[in-house]
Amino acid sequence: MTTLESEVDLFAPENVADPFAVLDRLRELGPAVHLAQHDFWLLTRYDDVRRAAADWKTFSSAQGVALTPQFNEQLAGSVLATDPPEHDQLRAVLSEKLAPRGLAAIRAQVREYATRLVDELVARGHFDGVTDLAAVYPVNVVADLVGLPQEGRELLHPGADASFAAFGPWGPYVQQHLQILQSYHGWMAAMADRSRLAPGSWGEVVMAAVDDGQLTERAAHSTLGAYMTAGMDTTVNAIGALLQLFAEQPVVWETLKTDPALAGPAFEEILRLESPVQGFWRLTTADTEIDGIRVPAGSRVMLHWAAANRDPRHYPEPGTFDIRRNPLDHLSFGHGVHGCAGQALARLEAKTLIETLLARVERFELSGEVLRRGNPIVRGLQSLPLTAHR
Amino acid sequence: MVIEVDRDRCEGFGFCEQAAPSVFELDENGELHVLVSEVPSADEPAATTAIHLCPVAALHSN
Ligand code: HEM
Ligand code: SF4
Repeated sequence: MTTLESEVDLFAPENVADPFAVLDRLRELGPAVHLAQHDFWLLTRYDDVRRAAADWKTFSSAQGVALTPQFNEQLAGSVLATDPPEHDQLRAVLSEKLAPRGLAAIRAQVREYATRLVDELVARGHFDGVTDLAAVYPVNVVADLVGLPQEGRELLHPGADASFAAFGPWGPYVQQHLQILQSYHGWMAAMADRSRLAPGSWGEVVMAAVDDGQLTERAAHSTLGAYMTAGMDTTVNAIGALLQLFAEQPVVWETLKTDPALAGPAFEEILRLESPVQGFWRLTTADTEIDGIRVPAGSRVMLHWAAANRDPRHYPEPGTFDIRRNPLDHLSFGHGVHGCAGQALARLEAKTLIETLLARVERFELSGEVLRRGNPIVRGLQSLPLTAHR
Repeated sequence: MVIEVDRDRCEGFGFCEQAAPSVFELDENGELHVLVSEVPSADEPAATTAIHLCPVAALHSN
């Protein structure tokens, strides 16, 4: 058996700005490539990434799903960083609210909030698709559900963004955002004081589970953290990418205008194409083989959702946005026991927003320069100046 | 083909029902029902798609 090695730095700024060319090359190099920079194995092909995600016994999350030991220590004991059976108990507390049957209760609330926000922005005409819409809407939806006070919410999106960056190498992006990371953690710790959480909120339910002995105090904090971090930056970036698409490819918006039922498929396709979470890591618990390549026990392995989502073995013409593709099997939400617990909420938020915009906007136009953020783990925009024509 | 559902994993996403409505049904409580003890061969491709689409890998067949 062979070993494949590459010197490419996947997290160098130019590769973060445009990851897809380098990922295409690494995907063709072989099924599992050891990256000398940062010392980990990379899986890029759809079938391999999916199989590894489903095989939690060999590809364990229990030693953390970040690259570095420093950050994995912080994740320890959270839903992301445990294996069954411990994982399942934490997940059950979340899915009680986040699974489709729990979401029925909040549909009207999400629609009402989307309507209020969109009415205001459309009346203005010019706005920033990221800072005025994408970074506001999911943050407030989740913050309202968790029952967080208004004060301090402005920390949530930058804080979640910095947290995700810390899943990757301890590089310049993380270092520039350390201060934000600290204030965010400070604020989250303060929120666990339940007198600050709104009565009847999800946050209060989580803290009540501590009183019932269902959760430890630590598990409750990490559950609240899971809502806040996992539920925000990801959705913010997905919605930002969607708005960019509407402005840059007017034909997509026209198609949706004539057939609003394509709102769901449009969201799935942008998730496949952009993969807001580019990938997370696992640790192998045994020697294993990826399509003929041996990966030893104790290896850090990155499951690269973004690379898998553009594998031409699985999706023909993978770089093209095709509104009719409806790729429900994409890996942007991961797969298997850790498959995103919030995916039904993310879909509900996106679909509601698209429908709200469809009823009010004739077409979108870019009205300034599109700026991308340099976050190595979550792919998204910093600024998207838009004009919405009525 | 016989379908097995891992009840601890199924969270009612309903992709299976969309892919193979003659095999899977979610009731109003979000509880999943497998409608047939053995999947008729005509429905096997749809059932296979359903298994593939489950986001949490709760479905298996033998
Ligand atoms: C478009 C938006 C979203 C994307 C792209 C996304 C992506 C992901 C991915 C890739 C994972 C898998 C992690 C792994 O395998 O290690 C995950 C897990 C998770 N997500 Fe999401 N997510 C989104 C929205 C949300 C929302 C809205 C929430 C909650 C409010 C949420 C909560 C979670 C939680 C709690 C987990 C951990 C599940 C577990 O480990 O069992 N996510 N997400
Ligand atoms: S797709 Fe999976 S999680 Fe969803 S209802 Fe079917 S079995 Fe359950």
